[in-house]
Amino acid sequence: MRWTPVLAVPAAIVVTVPGKATVYLTTEQAQRAIFPGATFTGTGRPGVFRVSNGGYLVIDQVVGKHEYITYAVGINPNGTVKQIEILQYNESYGYEVRNASWRAQFVGKSAASPLQLNGDIKNISGATLSSKHVTDGVKRILNMYETSLKGAR
Amino acid sequence: MRRQRPLLGTFVEIDAEGLPGHELERAVAAAFAAVALVGRLMSFHDPDSDLSAINRGAAVAPVAVHPWVARVISRALALHRLTDGLFDCAIACELVRWKVLPDDGPVTAPATMAAVHLLPDNHIAFDTPLTLDLGGIAKGFAVDRAVAVLRRHAIRAAVVNAGGDLRAIGPAVPIHLRDPVDPSAIRFAGMLQNGAIATSSAATTLTRFGSGQVSALVRARTRQPIVDCDAYSAIAGSCMVADALTKVLAQSRQPDAPCFRRLGAVGFITPSHAQQRFKGLDRRIADPYFSNAPARRYRA
Repeated sequence: MRWTPVLAVPAAIVVTVPGKATVYLTTEQAQRAIFPGATFTGTGRPGVFRVSNGGYLVIDQVVGKHEYITYAVGINPNGTVKQIEILQYNESYGYEVRNASWRAQFVGKSAASPLQLNGDIKNISGATLSSKHVTDGVKRILNMYETSLKGAR
Repeated sequence: MRRQRPLLGTFVEIDAEGLPGHELERAVAAAFAAVALVGRLMSFHDPDSDLSAINRGAAVAPVAVHPWVARVISRALALHRLTDGLFDCAIACELVRWKVLPDDGPVTAPATMAAVHLLPDNHIAFDTPLTLDLGGIAKGFAVDRAVAVLRRHAIRAAVVNAGGDLRAIGPAVPIHLRDPVDPSAIRFAGMLQNGAIATSSAATTLTRFGSGQVSALVRARTRQPIVDCDAYSAIAGSCMVADALTKVLAQSRQPDAPCFRRLGAVGFITPSHAQQRFKGLDRRIADPYFSNAPARRYRA
């Protein structure tokens, strides 16, 4: 283990992430990742696909307190969840972003430090953020499956 | 390859490289499966988990658990002793009482981990009815299991991040810290190589209870909630130890405590930048002199 801390972190090094979007998978990649080797047909509903093995794949979006998430749920032919994958994770704009003059003071500093203002800020440690809204979204999708997708073939 | 799945009640991200596409895909999927298994075994919320089974029955007769559960409890007991009782998974009865955790069963009387025993053949027994929550250590353990799976697949460079508790193998990676009060504010903290960092804060779970405030962080000795908004970070060789030490640091506020040295760990406390702003705001409201001053004077 080797840890090299930033020396004396001044309060001013804080940046607000300007609408960071991380794309993990496209719809096609998610289809291949969740149901490898299967083929997919549309159902007429946006984001809902019938899988050749009898299951379904549903792409949905949820809005959290600070984030906007696109995710895919693979449903087995027996109605159980096969896999959930996050396709895209957008962190919301903070209030700091609106203040252009405040942000301007970091422009020169970002090149010298590993801090990337508009880049991809990875490896964030912090108090755990809840994924309850995704769990609720999955419940909603399973309800939709029970009421209108199951047996509709 | 970077993938993210909702697991352990949070978002788990795995970023790995060094293998051909389909092999990497398999390795990452196997690592996620290990994290999911930890979730199923150690979830407080799931009545079918091993943890729920011991909370229901271990005070009556020894309960058999999965080897991973026995391993986590064994490490938790060692950390409990090493930190003079500051790390304690038996504080869950307070969390249930404060409704931070759901109260499906009877609320147990306060007890400590000293009443928890690991018996041969992965059996757990309690001296007295108590409520155990592995929330302070299981996420770190899950990250360690995921890293072990990636290593077995010959992956040399990877980062596994379970909602803020992360472990890196391979080259040094930049680590950023999220502000506990304003999650959209991120700051660069340092470079980490072959190690783990975990951060805890009361701010994300702060809720009103009765006439006061409570959170998911509890002082083991006084059984009082921690209600400040600082971020408590610990860096260690394993994510499980880092995860556990954040709870110790939140209570002791001493990164130079002997337990950190003995575990080869580093700890640091970061005050919330958003909280500092609010403090400025409070002062403006409370002090009549400041109330007439232009608001922008108090912006950070």
